[in-house]
Amino acid sequence: MNPLLTKTLLARNEKVLQQTVSVLRLAVSNPHPVLGCVLQSSERQYRSMPTHGIGRYKYLLPKEVPKKKKEKLQVKAIKTGTDTEYGVLNVQVSGHDMTIVEHYSQYVHNLCNRLKIKVDESYALPTKCTEVMLLQEQGTKMFADAVLSTHERIVQLSSLSSKLAPVFLEVLLRNQPEGVQLSIKEHTEADFYARFKARPELEELIAQIN
Amino acid sequence: MAAPVRRVLFRPLRRILTQIPGSGVASSGCRHLSVGLRVPAGQKPNDAVLESPSLWRLLGAVFVQRLAVISRDRSSIEKDFAELLKQTELERSLLADHELRLLEDAERVSRKQEEDYDSDEDSGQDIVTAQDLEDTWDQKLRQFKPAQRLTGSIQKQLLNSEADKKADRTCLERCLEDSLVLLVKEKIGSEDVWLLPQVQWENGETLRETAERALTTLTGNSIKATFLGNAPCGVYKYKFPKDVRTESCVGAKVFFFKALLGSGDLTPNKKGGHVWVSKTELQDYLKPQYLEQVGRFMVDL
Repeated sequence: MNPLLTKTLLARNEKVLQQTVSVLRLAVSNPHPVLGCVLQSSERQYRSMPTHGIGRYKYLLPKEVPKKKKEKLQVKAIKTGTDTEYGVLNVQVSGHDMTIVEHYSQYVHNLCNRLKIKVDESYALPTKCTEVMLLQEQGTKMFADAVLSTHERIVQLSSLSSKLAPVFLEVLLRNQPEGVQLSIKEHTEADFYARFKARPELEELIAQIN
Repeated sequence: MAAPVRRVLFRPLRRILTQIPGSGVASSGCRHLSVGLRVPAGQKPNDAVLESPSLWRLLGAVFVQRLAVISRDRSSIEKDFAELLKQTELERSLLADHELRLLEDAERVSRKQEEDYDSDEDSGQDIVTAQDLEDTWDQKLRQFKPAQRLTGSIQKQLLNSEADKKADRTCLERCLEDSLVLLVKEKIGSEDVWLLPQVQWENGETLRETAERALTTLTGNSIKATFLGNAPCGVYKYKFPKDVRTESCVGAKVFFFKALLGSGDLTPNKKGGHVWVSKTELQDYLKPQYLEQVGRFMVDL
């Protein structure tokens, strides 16, 4: 080819390239408010699909941590108390009227939160039902007169300091409602295992082995 | 001159009282009042507080309370709100088994009155209807008599004249809604003074043991109380009048210990006289400065 022709062709190509580059630069530096993110995220905007990806939003949400499945309860070592602090204490609230018992245990829990006492757990023990059988007036048969159910709620505290303990105890006793028994004990392993149901098949198998 | 001295002594006490609701940070300031704690053997309990021997006489006093037996009456707003809540709960609830039975029985009775009543078609009727059961329960409820809120002594008070009011304050069954404190009349110097039961500290015992001794000696052995904590909850310091002061003894410090009444009561033949009072009646008995110190640790919730 003629070298002059090629030179002019090259020069024209360069000009065209420069123009396109400048156009692109303009397009990138002043993004249209609607199309700006589309331009940044997808590299090309198809002429035939101008609204491609318009509904995408999941990439904007915060990353979700995958939900852990419930792990098996692990037997933790129970802390013992030191000279200035008590170890793990169980505040047990029991009574016949469920609303009063629950309200009082909630009061205890909230009081601990206020006084910055660490609450490990707050759980309920299964309800115990007692049937009151009375002798019938005319006759010798016993008939069920009433069913009394005893509800128990436990609030487990750890590291109650010995300065705070008398104040805490006094507040609890002053606000104890009628019909509710309060008892504070130290947490033992026997208490921990009392919550589990008995497994008769497992025990049978173990007895067979031995 | 006494005022600035008192302020210096009570700064550690105030720090304890303000730190309790705040945080669980262990403070070293409270060690100043560690006299009552069970210290390991071989260490004199009073080393932390006194530098020179016995410039002040030490006394241990006990603040015994009988806690409230019944809860207070509701105020008018509380009553109205409780009624409102009860009403909404009733209107929102479903019918119970017993109420359904009542409705069925009423319906059966109305069906019986109709002309085309067929007794064979009627489903089995119980011998004891639900209405009968309700009547028996009603009767039982009328037979039940709850205990009275105002006990006998209060009713006697209301009947007697104003002058007799003070005489009945030795009774432990009054004011079931409030907590009562034990006060004892002692002879100090030349006058009779009402104060909390106190006894002088002896060498070799902790202050809490002094307070326990005060309880047993001044009340006879009939009162059983549980002490809250090993540390005292309050302090009252006073100087003797100038003619009583000696070189070794300028005044006295009284350390208060809190206790809750378990059971038992004082024998009524106490020579000085004793009284169980509530918080509002305390000001009739105690001296103002003493009352101020007692009021700092008296909880009234």
